[in-house]
Amino acid sequence: MEDYTKFKLKRKEELDAVLADKDDLFVVACNKCFKELDSFDEPECGLFEEIAKEQGKNIVGSAQIDFLCNEPLTSKSFQDLIPQETKNVFVISCGLGIQTIAGMAEIPVYAASDSVIVDGYHGMALTTTLCEACGQCYLNLTGGICPVVDCSKSLLNGQCGGAKNGKCEVDKEMDCGWQLIYDRMAKQGRLQELLDQPVELRDYSKVNHKFVSEYVKSVREERYEGYYGGIHPTEFKELSEHISLVRFPDPVNVVIPMSQHAGAPAEPIVEVGQQVKMGQKIAQAVGFISSAIHASVSGTVVAVEPRLHPISGLDSLAIVIQSDGKNTLDDSVKPAGELDKLSADEIIEIVREKGVVGMGGAGFPTAVKLKSPKPIELVLLNACECEPILTADHRVLLEFADEVIYGLKAMMKASGAPKGVIAIEDNKLDAVELLQAKTADIENIEIVVAKTKYPQGAEKMLIKRVMGKQVPSGGLPMDVGAIVCNVSTAKAVSDAIQLGMPLVERVVTVSGNRMNKPGNYLIKIGTSVKDIVNHCGDVIGDDVTVKIGGPMMGFAQANLNVPMLKCSNGIIAVETTVKEAVECIKCGRCADVCPMELRPLYFTKYALSEDWEGMKTQNTMDCIECGCCEYICSSKIPIVERIKIGKTAIREGK
Amino acid sequence: MLITQLKSKETIEALAQGKTVIINCHGCKEVYFAEHEADELQKDLNGVTQIITTDYICNPDNLKLQLLKHTDVINAADTILVFSCGVGVQTVAAQFEGKRVYSCCDTYPLPGFQGVTPLNVDCGQCGECYLNGTGGICPITACSKSLLNGQCGGAKEGMCEVDKEMECGWERIYRKLEKLNKLDNMKYDAPKVRNYHNPNAEEPTI
Repeated sequence: MEDYTKFKLKRKEELDAVLADKDDLFVVACNKCFKELDSFDEPECGLFEEIAKEQGKNIVGSAQIDFLCNEPLTSKSFQDLIPQETKNVFVISCGLGIQTIAGMAEIPVYAASDSVIVDGYHGMALTTTLCEACGQCYLNLTGGICPVVDCSKSLLNGQCGGAKNGKCEVDKEMDCGWQLIYDRMAKQGRLQELLDQPVELRDYSKVNHKFVSEYVKSVREERYEGYYGGIHPTEFKELSEHISLVRFPDPVNVVIPMSQHAGAPAEPIVEVGQQVKMGQKIAQAVGFISSAIHASVSGTVVAVEPRLHPISGLDSLAIVIQSDGKNTLDDSVKPAGELDKLSADEIIEIVREKGVVGMGGAGFPTAVKLKSPKPIELVLLNACECEPILTADHRVLLEFADEVIYGLKAMMKASGAPKGVIAIEDNKLDAVELLQAKTADIENIEIVVAKTKYPQGAEKMLIKRVMGKQVPSGGLPMDVGAIVCNVSTAKAVSDAIQLGMPLVERVVTVSGNRMNKPGNYLIKIGTSVKDIVNHCGDVIGDDVTVKIGGPMMGFAQANLNVPMLKCSNGIIAVETTVKEAVECIKCGRCADVCPMELRPLYFTKYALSEDWEGMKTQNTMDCIECGCCEYICSSKIPIVERIKIGKTAIREGK
Repeated sequence: MLITQLKSKETIEALAQGKTVIINCHGCKEVYFAEHEADELQKDLNGVTQIITTDYICNPDNLKLQLLKHTDVINAADTILVFSCGVGVQTVAAQFEGKRVYSCCDTYPLPGFQGVTPLNVDCGQCGECYLNGTGGICPITACSKSLLNGQCGGAKEGMCEVDKEMECGWERIYRKLEKLNKLDNMKYDAPKVRNYHNPNAEEPTI
């Protein structure tokens, strides 16, 4: 395996000369990149410190930092690191790290190392294949062997004539690149093509500074827009974003699990054989963080028994109702009256009683959020829908805009928040326009258009983007005076107040490039995923993974005989990914994309060595499991799985 | 760091001969890949039997794994068109030595090495870091001529004469040294000669 480590310590004589007139040194070393990850703490600063001490120099401190050239992260850890008495900083790193530190520090910064020469650029794997990035790819003329890199003279028009026995005259260890090209072309029967080619001239002017610098600027702006990191997977929203909502045909049976929310499972209050009506409460909340559950159809309770749960993958208690097909409404389903006349506590009570929970995925009981013990200054409606493929929230915005705004107003009143914001990503401009028009006259509601970037919809990211505030480690949005709710939740709040209808149905996207007929449906809670997939013409092919939720954070389902929950926003069918994890090569992309500014590469190593202390020092518990690191991992390591192992161990007190 | 730009449509159309398999690499897409332009272009190509979109094809093991289920269609193909950086194209070409493997992109360098977001600073990997005398601004990459001993004299109002969009690297170095009170560096440091071969380079000792 190649090792692309890019620096080595300068020679002693040179260091001696540089050190001669300098004292009170602080030493910063970069922990190297692009090498097989054996140990974290490389390089040893020891040798440099020895040389310095030999000269009687005072070393005031030292630090080893990962990916020193990652300027946003480095500047954070570097700020408080340098002691006051430091007069000179010495950096052991490649030229990028040294320049990054030099750009940050107010005091002189010196290089203690030289960058190692590699001609050309490597890819993301540790291989010998290099690219010179000449901007005018010649590979089409040469059978896929690069004349710029593989010929020591970078000749473009054939052999120089100096090669002996297939070896280069400049470097006898090196194969003659043009001999390789000739052999490859002969093998493909393309020798005549090679001979017929016109003379090639290399155009060195192709790469211009303006193009590169503007490009770098735009990438950096996108990368750090709103919050650090994040990714932009292919959206695939065009599969279903234009398809209007359709009410899904009523199921014959609904299976309603007692655990559809964060907190304690609800407790059934109906028995087998009992007749129930649509909207009737069938299970009550147990404890403060829990939620009531209601019948989504009218009919007969045919079972109260454990059934397969789509999220836990285990059997858990559920109420099965056989529908009578009439959807007879329960008496409790009636409007609560004017919003103006309801008190904050009355609204919260309605929201609690009607079983409204967060519908973006986590299912946190909304009433608990609204009854915040801390003052709330902003209710933030999350309409980012940053997960690829999903379009349910988009359709809710377009088709239930009035309800969404009503729900937001109700939540603002309930929580005492003076301001409301609806945050929408810029890939839903039709929804932005509609909501802007509808809220134009409402002073305290603002529409914020956020750049499309996953995981924009994660509440901590969204708060940072909209409010510019950082939720403290281990904290909740209310710690910064915010409540974050999904748009579907706002619609459910509106239904609960305006119609008296509990949360018994929701908008679901059924899509993915392996779903035969994508669409957006209003689906009764408890409807079987299998029925829905069948209704949509089944999946295409046999290498398909069906997930509940989006492709990034959704739950893969091996058995489709599971019900839709209050927090299930999509059913997607995607091509099954084939991957084989290999060793981490410290490419640093996970740290580059982690929106929580963590360093996921540590987790992969610590989980295997069961180093729970290490997990803690790297703040594993702050991970929001968005999956950016795993998506980007060039070694295909199941990082999220390993993070979950670490979190479980820490929760168990290990 | 590498970015790719699509070759012209005519060039790519001429490359697609016979049964054609397309391989798109989105591995570094977070940095740059002209995804939508490539999609549109690929729709209009003749003879395409399969479009494979995957990531990190520069890793030969991963490439093999990702192509496994497409073995038959690849074997039957006359041409493989690769939309990736030059490393990816070479990796595919090495894997299918008997096939015509064509590159549909040109690759450009960006400041910074692989992995992290493109940087505002660059390293020329010259092997004898000059940053010590220059206040931490690299004369190899910040000066268009990679001069080591000060300004060429051609800069106008702080901008480079070679590329007027670029600041003069030596003027930046001067300003930085002025700020650090180290202008003496420029006056008294011995002239430097770049050693392209660096025969004294020792094996890495750290």
